[in-house]
This record gives sequence, C-alpha cells and structure tokens, in this order.
Amino acid sequence: MTIHLSHEQLCDLILADLSLQPERDSWRELEAESDVVHEHLRACLICSAELRSLRDSLSHFRDASVSYARQEFAQSYAHRSSIAPPHTFLSQPLYWAAAAVVFVAALFPLSMHRHRPAPAVIGTTATSPSRQTTESDEALLADIDQKLSADVPSPMEPLADPTAGATSTTSTSDQRTN
Amino acid sequence: MASRAITSDTHSVTRQSPATPLDDMASIVATYEQKIFRFHLISIRDRDVAQSLTQDTFVRAWAARDTFRGDCSMSTWLMRIALNLIRDHTRTDRFRFWKRVSETAVDVSDVASHVPHRDSSLESRLIASEQMALVWESVAQLSDRQRSVFLLRFVEDLELSEIASVTGLPISTVKTHLYRALAAIRARHNATHKDPL
Repeated sequence: MTIHLSHEQLCDLILADLSLQPERDSWRELEAESDVVHEHLRACLICSAELRSLRDSLSHFRDASVSYARQEFAQSYAHRSSIAPPHTFLSQPLYWAAAAVVFVAALFPLSMHRHRPAPAVIGTTATSPSRQTTESDEALLADIDQKLSADVPSPMEPLADPTAGATSTTSTSDQRTN
Repeated sequence: MASRAITSDTHSVTRQSPATPLDDMASIVATYEQKIFRFHLISIRDRDVAQSLTQDTFVRAWAARDTFRGDCSMSTWLMRIALNLIRDHTRTDRFRFWKRVSETAVDVSDVASHVPHRDSSLESRLIASEQMALVWESVAQLSDRQRSVFLLRFVEDLELSEIASVTGLPISTVKTHLYRALAAIRARHNATHKDPL
C-alpha cells in the first residue's frame, strides 16, 4: 500500500510558495528542503498531480480575483470622478482661467454700481451750499456787530455830520418830502 | 505642509517629521485604496458594501492616526482596520451573509471571466474557469476567520507573520486556519475530480 503525502505536508508545500504562479520554479527549490517529500513527489504521480492541480486552482482564483477587483475599482473611480473633479483637473490653467473670468464677470456689475457719479454729485452739492451759507452768516454777523458797535447808527450819520455834501442835503429834503 | 511619508509601494513608512505619516492622507488613500477595496470586495462579495467599507477604513484610520506608532507597516495597519470592519459587518448581517441576493452582489461568473488564459485552447480555458469557481465556492463555505486568513494569504499574498499581525492570532493558529481552509478546498477539489470517473 502506497503512503501518500499527509495533508499538512501538502499544505506546507503550497504555503511555502513565494508566489502561486505555477510556471515559477521557486517552489521546486523549496520542495528540496525535505528530501522525503521531494522524493515522494517524484515517485508518486497522484500526489504530484494533486499538488499541481491545487496550485493551479489557487493561482486562477487569485489572478481572477485581482483582475476582477481591479476592474471594479476602476469603474468605481470613474464614477466618482464624474461627480467631482479630480485634483489634476484643478491644476489645469484653463480651469483657473475660466474661474477667473466668472469671478470678474460676477464682480463687474457690483463695481459699476459702486462707481456711479450720482452720490458724488450729491455730496459736492451738499457740501458747497453749506460752506457758502456759513461764510455769508459770518459776514452778516460781522456786519451786525460793526453796526451795533458804531457810535452813530447808519441812518443817523447825515445828522451827525452837518458839513456833509449835497448828497446829504438831498436826502434830507427827500425825507421831508416823504 | 505634510511630508511624503510613503516611500514606495512596498508599504514601508518612514517618519520624516514629528507628525504622523497619516497626516498625508491623500497619499495613503492613493497608495492603498485599491488594495483595501479588493480585500473588502473578495471578502464581502458586494460592490456597494466594499466601496462603503473601503471609505470607512480610511475614515477610521484618520480618526485613529495618533495610535499608529510604526510598529507594523501601513498596509498591515490598514488591513487590520479593514478586517475589523468586515467582522462588524458580517456580525450584523450574519444570517444573510453570502446568501443575500442583491444587484451589487458578485457572482462567480463575473469573476470567472477574469481568469487569465495562458493557453488558448478552449479546454484549458474551461478547466481554468472550473478550478477558479471551485475555490470561489469553497471559500464561501469557510468560517469568517478561515476565510479572512485564506484571502490574506492567497489573494493578498501576505506572509504568515503579517497575517498574524493583522488578525492578532499566533502564527500557529494562522497555520491551522490555513490547513483547514485548504482541507475544505481539497475535499471539494477531489470530489469534483472523482465524480466524472
């Protein structure tokens, strides 16, 4: 009766693989660590065939899983990139130029509204009359002060100076006439 | 500005500044997102759930970035988070796991079409697809832990010590799970090959 490899021995051969690629020869080197196992694999076609078949199955499983996951990930990433622009898009000059144009276009009506001349005109017209009024008020007050401080009121000035000219005589005769 | 902490795809992370390497989350996501998505997809076999869990993995990594001390590789750390999320998900949907039929559930035929054909003969293609389907269906019958360990070894190509780090199990226990998983596959394998005879 032929004694085949135990399950643990078979598993150790599979787990010792650095890679599950069946075409790589590394597993043969690892198999050489155990002369007994190595010799048995050479002699026993059943064990060697089962080992090869298991390696192939695991290799196909891994390759298919990795390939499938890579495709699903790419599809997932493409879907996400359609929602939000990636960083590479933000680094494009065209993107920033378009953003600048939109920004300036949005600010343009606002700046036009701010630079309207009407408030400035109102401001100048509001300041100049007040200044003129202040000056005229000061002149009027100064005139009043001068008149009040005078010894003789201006209407009485002709009477205060009898030696005045014809003009003063005329004015006196006019007063009498009135 | 975060420094480039990821130096290569070999998952080695070096600290160039006092800040944690996870501060540059954009680079982390760009480097590991596909790998994490693949692990979720093959474990859960549902596209939408895989996408959601992939996002959750990085959200959780960002939230716990202060706890990453560089004791293990970034890949191992993220895989640990991903595995915990899968456990949480399968725990809540335990009764529907692998049995749920949804529009985004992955069918074996979807994956079988991705089997590479090194030989162009029709017979070899059919054999390869059958072998892949056999393992695919066998993996579905494994326990949660056996399946995770099996996928980490035979899809993600992790060493036993890395699997032990991800799962938090001793290496001997990892090996035992792999023995059992391979026993299930082997039994199905032998039954399939003996039936035609």
